[in-house]
Formats: sequence, C-alpha cells, structure tokens
Amino acid sequence: MDHETVLIVAEKPDAARRIALALDDNEKPSKESLGALSYYQSTRHGKRLLVVPALGHMYTLVPREGGRQHYPVFDCVWSPRGIAGKVDHRVQALIRGIEHLASEAVEFVNACDYDVEGSLIGYTILKFACHGKDLTAKRMKLSTLTKKEIVEAFSSPMPSLDFGLIEAGEARHLVDWLYGVNLSRALTLAAMRSRKRYATLSIGRVQGPTLMFVSDRERDILSFVPRVFWELKAKVEVDGQIVVAELCKGRIETLHEAETTGRECLGHEGVVSNIEVSKYSQEPPKPFDLGTLQAEAYRVFGFSPSRSLRLAERLYLSALISYPRTSSQKIPKSVDCERILLSLAGLPSVSAYAEELVQKRRFTPIQGAKEDPAHPAIYPTGDLPQGELGSDEAKLYDLVVKRFLALFGEPVIKEGIKVVIQIGPHPFQLSGRRTVGEGWARYYQPYYRTDEVALPSFHIGQRLRVSEILSDEKFSSPPSRFNAASLLSLMEESGIGTKATRADIIDTLYDRGYIAGSRMVATELGLQVSRLIGTYCPIVASVDLTRQLEQEMEAIEVGMEGKREVLAKAIAELKPALEKLKENEVVIGERLSQALKLAQVQKSRVGPCPICGRGDLVIMRSRKTGKRFVGCTDYFDGGCRASFPLPQRAFLKPLLRACPHCHWPMILVRYPNRRPWNLCLNPRCLGKKRQEGTA
Amino acid sequence: MKCEICGSESDAAFCTDHSKAFSQIRDGFQVWKKALGIDWEAYLHRISTNPNTGRWAREVAEHLLKSSLQKH
Repeated sequence: MDHETVLIVAEKPDAARRIALALDDNEKPSKESLGALSYYQSTRHGKRLLVVPALGHMYTLVPREGGRQHYPVFDCVWSPRGIAGKVDHRVQALIRGIEHLASEAVEFVNACDYDVEGSLIGYTILKFACHGKDLTAKRMKLSTLTKKEIVEAFSSPMPSLDFGLIEAGEARHLVDWLYGVNLSRALTLAAMRSRKRYATLSIGRVQGPTLMFVSDRERDILSFVPRVFWELKAKVEVDGQIVVAELCKGRIETLHEAETTGRECLGHEGVVSNIEVSKYSQEPPKPFDLGTLQAEAYRVFGFSPSRSLRLAERLYLSALISYPRTSSQKIPKSVDCERILLSLAGLPSVSAYAEELVQKRRFTPIQGAKEDPAHPAIYPTGDLPQGELGSDEAKLYDLVVKRFLALFGEPVIKEGIKVVIQIGPHPFQLSGRRTVGEGWARYYQPYYRTDEVALPSFHIGQRLRVSEILSDEKFSSPPSRFNAASLLSLMEESGIGTKATRADIIDTLYDRGYIAGSRMVATELGLQVSRLIGTYCPIVASVDLTRQLEQEMEAIEVGMEGKREVLAKAIAELKPALEKLKENEVVIGERLSQALKLAQVQKSRVGPCPICGRGDLVIMRSRKTGKRFVGCTDYFDGGCRASFPLPQRAFLKPLLRACPHCHWPMILVRYPNRRPWNLCLNPRCLGKKRQEGTA
Repeated sequence: MKCEICGSESDAAFCTDHSKAFSQIRDGFQVWKKALGIDWEAYLHRISTNPNTGRWAREVAEHLLKSSLQKH
C-alpha cells in the first residue's frame, strides 16, 4: 500500500479534471484508465492524488427482495445503480475501478458538490466501493471550481464527512423511494391488469402535489364561465395626435349603465382637470438563486428550468460561475467582488460597465432575502471563457454576468404621469411612464423589462376635441395556464421538492404524458391520475404533508430530527393509502385504461380535418403495408378519404397548431442528428411553393 | 348512475367535473342577468358560444339547452 496516496471522489468527470488540474504541482495531471474508469493522477507536495469521477449517483435504493409485480414494499438496500432492475455494467465497471484504486490509498476525500446530493454520492462511494472509508474520509467544501478555491478546500478540508447532510439525503431518498415505488406500482399494476398491456405510470411524493397544481388549474379552466362587463374609452385629439383615455371608474357592470354613461359624454369636449406627476425608484434586482435564474432564463430565452440547470452546471464545471444549486440570494463579504469586476472588465460585452463600476468603487452588491447555509447566490467567478461557449451556454453566462453587474448599480428612477380629462360629468384618464435615471438598467440590457408609455404634453384647463366614445363589451378570461417557470415558482413557494429536483419533477410529468405544451395543459391521463389520487390516497396530493416532510428532512440536516422517526412517520401515512389503492384496484385499473386509450388517441391527433371539416386527422398505420400515414377519423363514419403520406423513419409529433400559410395542421419531423422541421400536411401549401421557389 | 353528458360513473345527474361546471354556470347567471337583463336560455346561448367558456361548461350549457328544447 502506498502511504502517500490520497483518493479524491468528484461528482462528475469535468469536476475531476478541474480538481486534478488545480491540485497538481505542475498543473499537468495525467489521465489514466483502469478498465472502464478514467481518472486523473496528480502530484502535490510529494503526495500522489487519485481523482476519480462519479457519474452522479452510483448507488440507488432497491427492494431487499426482488420482483416488480407486488406492493407494498418497505424494505430496501443501497445497490449499484441499474436500469429497471437490471445491472448497469458500466457503473459496475466504474465501481470495480474505484475499489481497486481505494486499495492503494490511505487518505480519502469527498470533493463532490457541497449539498445533500453531493454528500450522499460521495458517502455511498466511500462506504461501499471503498469499504467503510466514509468513517475516516475528509470533506472538501467548494462553491466554485476555480483553482484558488480548490486549493484552499483541499488544504483545509472538513475533518469528517458532513453526516447531517448525508443523513438528510438518505432520508429523502428513502422517503421518495417508499412513495414512488409503491404508488407507481399500484397505478401501473392496476392499469396493466385491466388492459393486459404495460404502460409506465408514476406518482410520487412531490409529483403528486405538482400534478394537482396543474390539474386543478385545468379543471378551473374547463369549467370556467366568463362574466360580461363593459369598458368605456374616449378618443381625444391632442396637437393633431389621437390618444385613447379610459373611464376612471374602470369596469362597468351593466349594459344600461354603459349606454347611459356613453350618452352623457356625447357632444362634450374634454377638459384637462388634473395632472399628477410622481417619481419612484426601482431597486436593483436581487442576486440569482437557482429558482430566480430559471425563471429569468425562461422569461428572456424561453429555456425550460431543467435546461437552464444543465447549462448552469456546465458553466460551473468550466469554473465560470459559482455553484448553481443554491437557494441563497446573498453574496457574502468573502466573495471578492472588486476582483471579479476587474476580471469582467476583460470581457468585451461588459467591459465598459465593469470598468465604470470599478472607477465608481461600487463594490457592495444588493442582497436578497433568501439564505442557504451551504452556498452563496450564483455569481460569475471572474474566470473568463477560454474559447467559444456553446450558444445557449453563452446566453446564460451573459445573463449571470449582467445580473451580477446590475447588483452594484444605482436605482432606476421612473416618472409616472396621470392626466385626468373631464368629459361631461365623467372623468377619463391617461397614464404614462418614462425613465429619468437609467441606473442599474444600463448594465442589465437587453434583459431589463421596460414599460415606457409616452404621452404628449398637457396643461390644466386644456380643451380637447373628443372624436369618439367607444363602449367595448368584454368578457373575463379564464385563469392563465402554468408555464415551466410559474409552476416552478409555485412549487418553491409551497415548499415542495428541492432546488435540485423541481425541474426534473416537471420533466417527469411531461414524460408520463400527464401534461403537454409549453402553456401547460393537463391531459385526460393527467386529470384521471389526479382524480384517482385525490379520491383514493389524498395524502399524496396534499401540499401540506409534502411540505411537512420537507421540513422534517431539513431538520435532519441540522440534527433536530432523526432519520428513523421521519421514515416511520412516512410509512405510517403511506400504508393505509396503499391498502385503499389495493382494495379499489379493479375500478382504478378500468379508469386508467380508459384514460390511457384516450391519451393514445390524443397523442396521435394532428388536428381537425380541413377536407371534410367533421373528423380529426390522426397518425395511423396501414394494415396492409404497415406504413405510417395521416388519415381522417371520419373515414369510418362518413367516408372522408383524406390521407397524407409521412416520413417513415423519423420521429413525428403533432404540433397542434395551424400552418401560418394555409392553416392546415402541422407535424414536427425529427431525424437523429438533424435539425427538426415542421411539416405542413397540405401538399399545395403556399409556404412549400415559396420554399421550392427560393431553392 | 351515469353522467348525462360524458357517461362516466356518478352519484348524480352530472359527474364531479360537469357538476363543478354546472355550479359555475348557475353562479354566473345572476351577473349576466343583471348586466344584460337576459333570461336563462339566452344566457346559456351566450356562454355556449363564448370563446372564453371552458369545455366542460360549454358541454353543460349545450346539454341544458338541448334538454330545454326537448321540453318545449
């Protein structure tokens, strides 16, 4: 055994490379291979460092006894990660490699991301692959992967693993496993026994309430009845320009009142009776935590939360930004903002602004309210990109950098103006806004949301010609649908899920076919699953219970609660729900079967048939040739013979929107490694002709 | 018992979803009556053709209209 060898566990291959590079005396670590395991070897002050990467979680929970066709199961063990109960040979080979290297090492360090998941990933590897080295291993605590921070964290590591985080992580995995495996099996088996075919259905501790948010909103939309009301507007001439003023009173609730008010205004000229000017300031935005970064990236780029997280992780692994899985909106004094601003002055897109802030010596950022004991808010490290970033990475990096600059800016000063115009007995108003002091908005371009409304100049007593009084009949709108960002915010506000898992939960709802579209629609299947859990196991749909469990797991992190107690409580809640599901398996199975059938039809529906106007166009397969084509559902009833050929090998997905040229339905066509395209079903579409013409 | 509209199992004339839509329709009537002075049938006509009306509410409105036509 080499007494100078230290084994360092990193969370991902890129992190392992950075750590090895930063710790090597000559910044030239060697890349070695041992079977399927690639690792790095560095030399530091005479010690041999072996930096081994994990691939996320290498160990997962599996039932102690096999078989996937029964529930409830409450007994599980940690086992090398597999897929659908089968061994993942790659993971096993990596574990064998780590086992071999561990036998050469005398010191062990966990350098995975400093959070619940990272602590657990390192712990399971040190415990199982390194045979109990979790008890003697040290912990490196990193918030960025810059050389400086890696060296500091290695030189003064925590003397032992962070067992509070590990215990909380284990409890979270165990509770999620108990809920996920049992409830998902209950639904899947019920459906399978009813329709004699397999379909993956899942529901879990966080998935349940999240699905309820979307399905409850869908029910509100589906049963929405609009209310009627009227809005009165006056077209007024000011210096040859027409402006539209609104009745000060706002909505009018009866037709009679709308007509009377309109009549009373007729024949009168407008007189400016009041002008109110007010100034107000907009403080700089708060530093990004993961949730606000995801929401902002969705707003400005349309990135889904999971995509933003993936991009942010890549930027973190390139040492360009700090650790993104954070709940903090604070940048502590330990972060050297002056150094970062000086470095950012070397970035052409922001150099002028960074220099300006340095010259003004504005080095104190604004702080947000949320805190995270493990990590600060997300900020650029000051290391500049070496080479070109991918287009989406570059966008997210630009957003993080500009947000960071904005934190040091002065408030934006705005001026609001309200002009009241008396028309007969009724006052109407015009509202305008303009920016008088740009403040931090300069640094946050083009992401600053401007709301300027210009008004011509007015003076009190000014007489204006009223060219028209408009009375608009209006209807109230249904509640708006969630998008990925608003659902994520609601999950965060409700305290369900963690910053690391929320985006994945939303993706799972899409994957299962419970929700669809970027403005989220709960599908028939999603509505049915939510109905069933609401009826037979309401605890799974309960936000309160999920939040309570989250709080208990947070209490484990700080030693206020024990893992065993939390697990015992979770099992006590779950057992009766599972019994009820089992008792009603036949009914549940029938309902799920119907919903799955409908989901299949919905999935293949392309849009209304433009030929007969009665049926729907759906993707189907020819019984004779086995080929896919689009046909009309009315073929079986009325004999509509509309049919359109389709590419046979491509992935096809109905776009559920009409072609902008001919209003026929469209399909997304995607081949591997090729840019997808939108196919209009109309063979005579003008858009196609134009494309052919240009080609 | 089956829902008169969608045929799903139910304890009343309408299933839970269509019952919810029906109570929304019932609640909305007073607002529309006061606003336009219209009767129940005219109200059902208006909401069944309004683009903001939800699918379940439209189905209930159309069903109620059909039932009232049959009565007459």
